[in-house]
Amino acid sequence: MASNSWQFAGDGDESDDDNFNPAPADMSDDENNDNDEEHNHNHRPAGKTVRQASSPVPDEEEEEEEHDEEEDARPAKRSRRDDHDEDEDEEQDEEENEEIDEEEEEEEEDEEDEDDVHGGNRRKRRNKDRRAAFFDIEAEVDDEDEGEDEVGDGEEIEDFIDNAHPDDIADSGRLNDDRRHRELDRRREMEASLDAEKQAEILRERYGKRAPARGYGDMAIVPRRLLLPSVEDPSIWAVRCKEGKEREVIFSIMRRIEERMGTKNEVPITAAFERGGVNSVMKGYIYVEAQRQNDILVALDGILNVYPRSNMHLVEIKDMPDLLRVIKTPNLEPGAWVRLKKPAKHAGDLAQVIDVTENGLEARVRFIPRLDYGVRDDPVFQADGKRKRPGVPGPRPPQRLFSEAEARKRHPRHLQGNPQTNSWNYNGDDFENGFQVKDIKIQQLEVKNVNPSLEEVTKFASGAEDGTENLDLKALAATLKDSAKSVAYVPGDIIEVYEGEQQGVIGKATNVQGDIVTLQVTEGDLAGRTIDVPNKGLRKRFRIGDHVKVIGGSRFRDEVGMVVKIVDDRVTLLTDQTNTEITVFSKDLREASDIGGQGSLGQYSLLDLVQLDATTVGCIVKVDRESVVVLDQNGDTKQVQPSQITNKLPKRKFAVAADRNGSEIRLDDVVREYGGQQRQGKIIHVHRSYIFLHTTTTNENAGVFVTRANGVTTVAAKGGRNTATAGPDLSSMNPALKRNPAANGKQMAAPRTFGPDRAINQTVVIRRGGHKGLLGIVKDTTDTHARVELHSKGKIITIPKADLSFKDKITGKTIDINQRGGSRGGFGGGGRGGGEFGSRTPMASGGSDRTPAWGSSRSTARTPAWNRDAGGSRTPAWNDGSRTVNPYDGSRTPYGGATAYGGIGSRTPAWHSGSRTPAPDGFGHGSKTPAWSAGSDSWGSKTPGYGASAPTPGASGDAWGYTPGAGGGNSSSAYDAPTPGGGLSAPTPGAALNAPTPGAYSAPTPAPVSAPTPGAWQGGWGSGDAVSAPTPGALGAPTPAAYYSAPTPAAYGGAAETPGGAPGYADDD
Amino acid sequence: MSENYVAPGQQRYLRACMVCSIVMTYARFRDEGCPNCEDFLHLQGSPDQIDSCTSQVFEGIITIANPQRSWVAKWQRLDGYVKGVYATKVSGQLPDDVRTTLEDDGIQYIPRDGSATEAD
Repeated sequence: MASNSWQFAGDGDESDDDNFNPAPADMSDDENNDNDEEHNHNHRPAGKTVRQASSPVPDEEEEEEEHDEEEDARPAKRSRRDDHDEDEDEEQDEEENEEIDEEEEEEEEDEEDEDDVHGGNRRKRRNKDRRAAFFDIEAEVDDEDEGEDEVGDGEEIEDFIDNAHPDDIADSGRLNDDRRHRELDRRREMEASLDAEKQAEILRERYGKRAPARGYGDMAIVPRRLLLPSVEDPSIWAVRCKEGKEREVIFSIMRRIEERMGTKNEVPITAAFERGGVNSVMKGYIYVEAQRQNDILVALDGILNVYPRSNMHLVEIKDMPDLLRVIKTPNLEPGAWVRLKKPAKHAGDLAQVIDVTENGLEARVRFIPRLDYGVRDDPVFQADGKRKRPGVPGPRPPQRLFSEAEARKRHPRHLQGNPQTNSWNYNGDDFENGFQVKDIKIQQLEVKNVNPSLEEVTKFASGAEDGTENLDLKALAATLKDSAKSVAYVPGDIIEVYEGEQQGVIGKATNVQGDIVTLQVTEGDLAGRTIDVPNKGLRKRFRIGDHVKVIGGSRFRDEVGMVVKIVDDRVTLLTDQTNTEITVFSKDLREASDIGGQGSLGQYSLLDLVQLDATTVGCIVKVDRESVVVLDQNGDTKQVQPSQITNKLPKRKFAVAADRNGSEIRLDDVVREYGGQQRQGKIIHVHRSYIFLHTTTTNENAGVFVTRANGVTTVAAKGGRNTATAGPDLSSMNPALKRNPAANGKQMAAPRTFGPDRAINQTVVIRRGGHKGLLGIVKDTTDTHARVELHSKGKIITIPKADLSFKDKITGKTIDINQRGGSRGGFGGGGRGGGEFGSRTPMASGGSDRTPAWGSSRSTARTPAWNRDAGGSRTPAWNDGSRTVNPYDGSRTPYGGATAYGGIGSRTPAWHSGSRTPAPDGFGHGSKTPAWSAGSDSWGSKTPGYGASAPTPGASGDAWGYTPGAGGGNSSSAYDAPTPGGGLSAPTPGAALNAPTPGAYSAPTPAPVSAPTPGAWQGGWGSGDAVSAPTPGALGAPTPAAYYSAPTPAAYGGAAETPGGAPGYADDD
Repeated sequence: MSENYVAPGQQRYLRACMVCSIVMTYARFRDEGCPNCEDFLHLQGSPDQIDSCTSQVFEGIITIANPQRSWVAKWQRLDGYVKGVYATKVSGQLPDDVRTTLEDDGIQYIPRDGSATEAD
C-alpha cells in the first residue's frame, strides 16, 4: 500500500498541494460570495472526497483532463451540496458523499469500481506515477491519490465503526447539521456588520495559509472514538530498547527517516514513539508503527540501543489507544506541598508552592534552607588537584531557617537584603522569612505522593511572622488527596462518592478490600444495591450534629466534638473539651463512640495506674486533651492535670493478691465481686489490697471499677492456673533444694522413670482448673506437665501432672500408674519397680549400719556418690528407696496380693523379688559390682571375705529381719521403712562422715593403718570427685576393709549401727 | 537533511508546542517558528511567545514519518501536520489570550496535557 512514490511526493509538496487544489477553487469560484467560501472552507474534506472519487485515473493525461473537469464540476457540486446537506463534508458522512458523487459522475464510478476490484491496476498506475514524479502536475495528482488513500482508509474505518454505532453517526450528523446552520447564520450577520477592510483582513488571516488550519479542521471534528484503530491501519510493534535511551532511539529513527528520504531505501515505517520515563511501565520499549514487521527490522537495523531482533512483539489493535493514553498531571496550586528533586542538597525536602507560572511549567517554592554558611566550605580543588565533582553531596547541612546574623558573620559581602521585609539574597539565593525561595521547574518537583508529615508542615506553619499557625488546609487537602496513602475506610463508615460515574451515591461501607470499597447504597435510586467503588473518589460523610472524633492526620487528633458545618470534605466541629471550632478533613474523622477517649496524654495513657499522692492511686479512665480523668482506689473519679500526677506506676506483672477464698489472684484473672453488684471483671491492676478491674459490660469510667481484693472470688485464673496452690513455687526457687532434691519428696519421681513416661497414653481425669472433670488421654509429658487430649473438646491442653488423676481405661477406676506399671509390666515391670524400691530398702538399712564399711571399701565409685547425698545420682535413689518404699510398701502390699504378685502368692516372694533381688544385685553384681570387683582385683583374698561379709550386712539380719517384718505387719512395715528413711537421714553419709566413728574404731586398730584411713576418707569425701575418689578408695579400701570385713559387722554390729540406724530399729523392734 | 534530529546533548533545549505538540529545540522555534501553528502562534523570533506557547515539559516522543498514513498521527490528531517529532503529552497551558485568538480563528484547540483526552 505505502508506495514510496506518493509518500515522497506527498510529503515534499504537501503545502503546495494543499494550496493548489483549494486555492483556485476558492478564488475562481466566488469572489463575492463569502458564504460559499465559508462553505468551501468548511467543506474541505468534501473537496477531498470529490477528488477521491475522481482520482482513480489510468494515467497522467487522463488525470489532467480529469482534474480540469473536476475543477469545473466542483462549484456546481458544491452549491448543490450546500443545498442538499451542509454536513456532507464530515468524514463520517462520506458514504453519502460518495453516493452523490457516484450519481453525478457515472463515468468515474466505473473506474472507481474497477479500482476497488483490481488492486493490481492501481499499483500499476502508481508505478507510472513514480515515473512522472518530477512533473509538477504529478504532485497534484499524487496528492489526490494520497487523498484517496487516506479517505479510503477513512471509509474503511467508518464502515468498521458504522457497524458498531449506526445510530451514533446519524445522530451526530443531524445535530451538527442544525448547529452549523445556526452558526452560519450568525457569522453571516456578523460579517455583514464589519466593514470591508476588516472583512478582507479576516479573510486573509483565515485563508492566507491554510495548511495548518486544515489540519485543525480535521482534528476538531472527528471524535476520538471514530479514530480507533482498525485492521487497515498500520500495526504497532513494541521493540525492546535500552532503558533510558528511548528518546535517543526515537530521534535516531527520525534522523534515519530524514536521511533516507527520497532515496531508494526509505524507512518504511510510518511512526515510532516511546513512553519512557523513570516511573513509566512502558520504559525499555519503543513502539514502531509499520505495515509489516520486516519494515521495522529494516528501519531499526543498526540503530543503537534498540534490539528489534531479540525482542519485538505486536501490540494488539485494541491495546493501541492505550499506548498513547495521556493522563493529566494535576496542576499545581499555590500553597500545595511538593518535594524537591533537583538541587541535590535539598532532594526530598518538603517545599510549598508560592506561585506557579501561567503555563504551569515553573513554580516558585519555598523551603527550609540547608546552609552551613561556609563552615564546611571545602576548597573547590581537592588535594589531588582534581576538581571535585559537583553534585556529589557530602553530608548535607541540616534544615534550618535562614539566619541573617550567621550569614553576615561569614559572608557579609554576599548578603544583600532588606531587614524590613526580611528578604535576603545570600550567595545568589533568595530567602524570605527564613525560607529559601526559588523558582523551580515542575519536572524537578515531586508532585505526587508527597505525603507531608505533620512535623514538616508545622515547620512551615510556625514560620509565620506573627507566630500564628496559618496552615492552608485546602492546599494540604489537595496534596493529601493525591497521595497514594489511601484513607482507611472501615465497614460501617458512611461514605459518599464524590468523583467518577457514581458521583453522589451515598452508602455504608460493608467491605473494604484493598482499594475497593463495597458500598451498600442507602440513599437515592440505587438504595439497597451494593456497589463496588474505588477508594479514590470516596469521602466519609457526616451530618451536622454527628458526634465525631478526629482520628488522624491533623494536630487535632483525638479531639472529639460535634459536627457544626460541612463544606465539601472539610468538616468543622465544636470540640467537647474546649468548645472551640476546629476544621478537619472528613477523612480524618470517625463517628465517635461515647466511651472515653483513647490514646494518651503525654506519658499517661488510658487504663494506666498512676500515683496521685502518697496514699492515693488511680486508674486513668479518660484522656482528654489536657487532662485525664482518674478513678482512684476509693472509687471516686476526678479530673486531674498531668502535672498533678506524681508518677505512673508500672504494671507489676507478678503482683499477687489473695481473693476472698485465699486463692491467689493476679493480673488478667477474671474475678467477681462477692457481694454488692457482683460485678465481674478482669484485673488490670493490683495495688496493695485494691484491685482495679475492667469490664466490657459497662461504659462507665471506661469500664473500670475498683474493689478490694478480699471481696472478690476467682472466676477464672489466667491460663488455668491452679488457684489452689497459693504462692509461688518456693521449691523451685531454693537452690539448696535444687541441688539436693533428696530433701524434696516431690522430685522423687524423676529417677523412677525410665523410658517413656508411663503416663503417656493413659486415660486421665483433670482434677483442677478450668478443665476440671474433663476426661482425656495423655499425649505427651514433661517432668511436671502433661499434654492431655480432651475427649470432649478434641483439643490438647497442657496441664500439670499433679492435676491429673489416672483412670483405668476400661473400668474407669482411679489407678496409680506407677503401680500400674508394675502390674502392667508383669515381671519386667515388677522386677524393675520392685527392684528399685526393694533393693534400696535393705541398702539403706545396710548403709545405715554399714556406711563406713561400705564407704571405705567402695570408695572408688561409690564414695562420691555416697558422699554426694546432695548431688549424686544415687542418693535420691537411696532416699527414694527408703522413703518411697513406704507408701509403696503400704500400697503395694495389698496390690501385690491382688495383681501381679497375687499370682506368685504371698508377699514374701514379692519381697524376694523386690528386696532381695536387688539387694544382691546391688551389692553383688549391680552397679556396685565394679567397685567390688575393683576391690576384689586388688584384694583378691578379700573379695571372698567381702563376699562373706557383704551378705552379712546385706542379709544383715536387720535388713532381712525387719523387711519381712514390714511385710508381715502391713502397717508396721509402712513404718518400718521409715527406719531406713530415718537412715536416709542423709546422715547416712553423714553417719559415714561421722568419720569420727570409724576414726574411733580405727584408732584402736593399728595406728598406722588408721591414720591413712581417715585421711583417705577425708580426701574422698572432701573432694567428692570421681577422679580423686578412686585413690582414696584404693588406699582406704583395703584398710578399713581389713577391719570391717570381719570385725566391723560383728563387733560393731550393735555399736556402729546404733548411731545411724538405732532409732529406726529401736522403733521397729 | 536531518533537520528534525536532535543530538542527545541538545535535547535539554527541546520544547514542545502546546498546540500541535511538535518537539523542536528552542533555537528552531525561534528561527523558524512552529511549522504547524506559526500562523496564529507567531513564535518565530519572539522568545516570549515561545516561552508561553511551548513547554519544556513533555513526554512520549513520537516520530511521525508519514502523518497521512500513520494511525498514531491520526489518533494524536497530527495528520495534516508536517512530519517530524511530536510529543504525546505536553504539560502546560496556553495563555488565555492565545487561546482566545485561537478561538477567534475558529481553530479548536486541543490541550495536549491530557486534560481533554478522554472526553470523547
